[in-house]
Amino acid sequence: MKKQSLLLRVLVLAYVAALLGIPLLFVFQQAFSHGWSELWAALHDHAMDLAILLTAKVVVVAVPLNILFGIGASLWIVRRPSRLSHVLDVLIDVPLAISPIVVGLVLELAYAQNGWFGPTLAKLGWRVMFSLPGIVIASIFVSLPLVSRQVIPLLREIGDHQEQTAATLGASPIRIFFTITLRSIAWAAAYGVTLTLARVIGEYGAVLIVSGNIALLTQTLTLNIGANFENFNSYQGFVGALLLAFVSVAVLLVIAVARHRLERKRHDSFA
Amino acid sequence: MTVSLDGVSKSFGKSLVLDDITDVFADGEMTALLGPSGSGKSTLLRIIAGLTPLDSGRVRLGERDVTSSPARERHIGFCFQDYAPFRHLSVFANVAYGLKVQRVPRAERKARVEELLGLVRLEDFADRYPHQLSGGQRQRMALARALAIKPDVLLLDEPFAALDAQVRGELRSWVRSLQRELGITTILVTHDQIEAMEIADRLVILNEGRIEQTGKPSFVYDHPSTDFVAGFLGPITTLWGISYRPHELELSLDGDEGEKATVTDVVRLGFEVRVVLTNQTGESSWVQLTHDQAKALNPSIGQRYVVRPRSARGLIEQDPTKRARS
Amino acid sequence: MLESLPTWSSLPVNLLANHSVATAEGPSLRWRSPRAVRTVEKSSAAAAKGLVLFYISLIVLIPLAALLTNAFNHGVGSFWNAATSTESLDALRLTVTCSLLAAAFNALAGTATAFVLVRDRFWGKSALNAIIDLPFALPTVVAGVTFYTLYGPHSPFHVNITGSWIGITVAIMFVTLPFSVRAVQPVLESLSGDAEAAASTLGASSFYVFRTITLPAILPALLTGTGLAFARALGEYGSVVFISNNLPYRSEVGSSYIYSLVSSGQVSSAASVALILLTGALLVLVASNVIARRLARRRG
Repeated sequence: MKKQSLLLRVLVLAYVAALLGIPLLFVFQQAFSHGWSELWAALHDHAMDLAILLTAKVVVVAVPLNILFGIGASLWIVRRPSRLSHVLDVLIDVPLAISPIVVGLVLELAYAQNGWFGPTLAKLGWRVMFSLPGIVIASIFVSLPLVSRQVIPLLREIGDHQEQTAATLGASPIRIFFTITLRSIAWAAAYGVTLTLARVIGEYGAVLIVSGNIALLTQTLTLNIGANFENFNSYQGFVGALLLAFVSVAVLLVIAVARHRLERKRHDSFA
Repeated sequence: MTVSLDGVSKSFGKSLVLDDITDVFADGEMTALLGPSGSGKSTLLRIIAGLTPLDSGRVRLGERDVTSSPARERHIGFCFQDYAPFRHLSVFANVAYGLKVQRVPRAERKARVEELLGLVRLEDFADRYPHQLSGGQRQRMALARALAIKPDVLLLDEPFAALDAQVRGELRSWVRSLQRELGITTILVTHDQIEAMEIADRLVILNEGRIEQTGKPSFVYDHPSTDFVAGFLGPITTLWGISYRPHELELSLDGDEGEKATVTDVVRLGFEVRVVLTNQTGESSWVQLTHDQAKALNPSIGQRYVVRPRSARGLIEQDPTKRARS
Repeated sequence: MLESLPTWSSLPVNLLANHSVATAEGPSLRWRSPRAVRTVEKSSAAAAKGLVLFYISLIVLIPLAALLTNAFNHGVGSFWNAATSTESLDALRLTVTCSLLAAAFNALAGTATAFVLVRDRFWGKSALNAIIDLPFALPTVVAGVTFYTLYGPHSPFHVNITGSWIGITVAIMFVTLPFSVRAVQPVLESLSGDAEAAASTLGASSFYVFRTITLPAILPALLTGTGLAFARALGEYGSVVFISNNLPYRSEVGSSYIYSLVSSGQVSSAASVALILLTGALLVLVASNVIARRLARRRG
């Protein structure tokens, strides 16, 4: 019995180390393989810095929009259910089943020059494809359900008695939202937001199509890494990957804390 | 089959849960392990079953030393507090589980399960799933499942705790008669002293991992060896610093042998009436009267009575060694 | 129906407001008519709902509708020809095979991992628990270039799995690793262990207990998690594209093929193949959910 569980532990650790641990460490090893001064120079690569800036811009627009959407849609689905909200409940998870490449394709079909809205957008002088708005829309698409998937189950679980109590005490709906609802879903939302952030920063396929992947102009950090790699400049690629590896380690830490808090909360209030 | 425990001890981390437990459960006897929560009674039951490993001591089933045998080799029937139904299996398949493990041939298995379902009156529920049963039915299913392998010993962990009061009473007497009919050595864990006294041939009273007292329910009730046992088995009150059962005190309007006291409260609970009295120095006792006694005396607040014990002997034997241990 | 009833959030406020009118001398400064409060609340809720629908339509629904019309805009015949061309079929077959392999292997390894995380105790377990989510946190392209460098032509281990189904399957195993772990883990945590203990008192060996008691309990969650992993795998691009080499008919997955069609301007053909891929992924999700729900319903 003891022997069996020890064997299982070793197998699992080996599996996780081979598939996750070694690749992560390898990124660090590669990025530091040329020494500090070269790393310092690579960090100041002009194209990469512009790519980082673009990724930051996308994050600043896409993540807050998806937070608002995710919380709003969750409240609607759980607290004001209707036939329409049931449809939304199903639709909201659809992006998870769509290939990033297909996401890029459908956005092109809708927003490119010869797409559905192409002529209208051209008349208005707006450019969606091969520019920031397209990249933002693609990032929103792929990360759309990540907040609500965390918030909806928690909202269902905690029920609405606290909110009703606050209402009987005379609190306005807005006050109830900020003082009761938001507080009880804060960690679930934080979890979802972190996943959203990671997905937006990390998106590759969808952004590859909608951005056109033009160096110095529409290249996000992930595209820049891919491009460096294809141009046989893999060291520069790994320096970019190093930055993203740091981000993902930070993301893992936040996720671990949020998960722990959520479990404790569940334990406290439902045990 | 007898169950013998010899110096069983168990700690979880730093807390000692069972401290040197030695006892023998006689063949065919129904014993209740009685104690408050945290007294170690469930852990002791799980140790007998082989579900929890012990730190030191021995467990014997009959002549067989099973201390290091895993649960599956001990041949005991165990019923969990939540009945632990196999939720994805029908009632029939639940009961048949142990027989299937033993590779009992299909026809024989079917006959045996049907016999057991009849015994626990679930013949009509064979194809149902556990979630379609009531609490009492689920409990009977768990019992049939445990009995299917014809175990040498039956262990029941708080078997009636999750049931509502009426079902609990019915099942209790049914389990009692079933156990007598089968003559199987049975150990039952409970924190309910009334349940224990009603169902068991013998009580083992545990407190903080030690055995406080063992014996026949009526004897232990009348002759508790420690304050803990006295208080755990029934109500106690004190007069002149000695513990008595409240029904062992009597009231009279006058008399010399006794304490003069004034009624401060009267609580009427149907057939039982509780009279609280306080003497001149402020010490209070309470007396339990039957409905008829109360009718004759008609006590009311402010009335004065003489309180005295029916017999001179106090509730607890004044055995200094036992008192020191509690 | 629901709209016509006073909502919980507005009702008590209004009762209090009315009460203050009755007792105070005339309406106080802070008083607003209940009707006005209700109207404001109703219209702002309606506006919020409208925004939510607008957002999901603009970003998801309309583009998906555009996919549907584009796939068929040269007729059903050309849709069928594009979707069933040899290159398309080879790509789809490779995608399904590798996804199935990866999802199946991860169902096994994920269950084992969940077991170790829930039932085992050892130093560093919380680090193991945290790193499981790495595929959600690490960009797929980083995983892609890393696997290429580790197991490509210049591999430090002298292992080259590029351009073959093995490399593709390994990349997909990386991205789908968390799904079955995170699906099974909470179910295992919620099992009290009593049913398993009961089975062992009935004489069952630990493997028999796992097969007859534990596995059926986690099966619905495992199915859902594996379905999710499989659907995700069908569309995977970033982690696969580098290690696969994208050799048509040999090591080109569905998403790579769609990308090559888009790059060469064959948008309608791309839409046709995309529609097949998308429908397949959605069917997998729906099917695994339906089966899991049916399994779970039996045990109430």
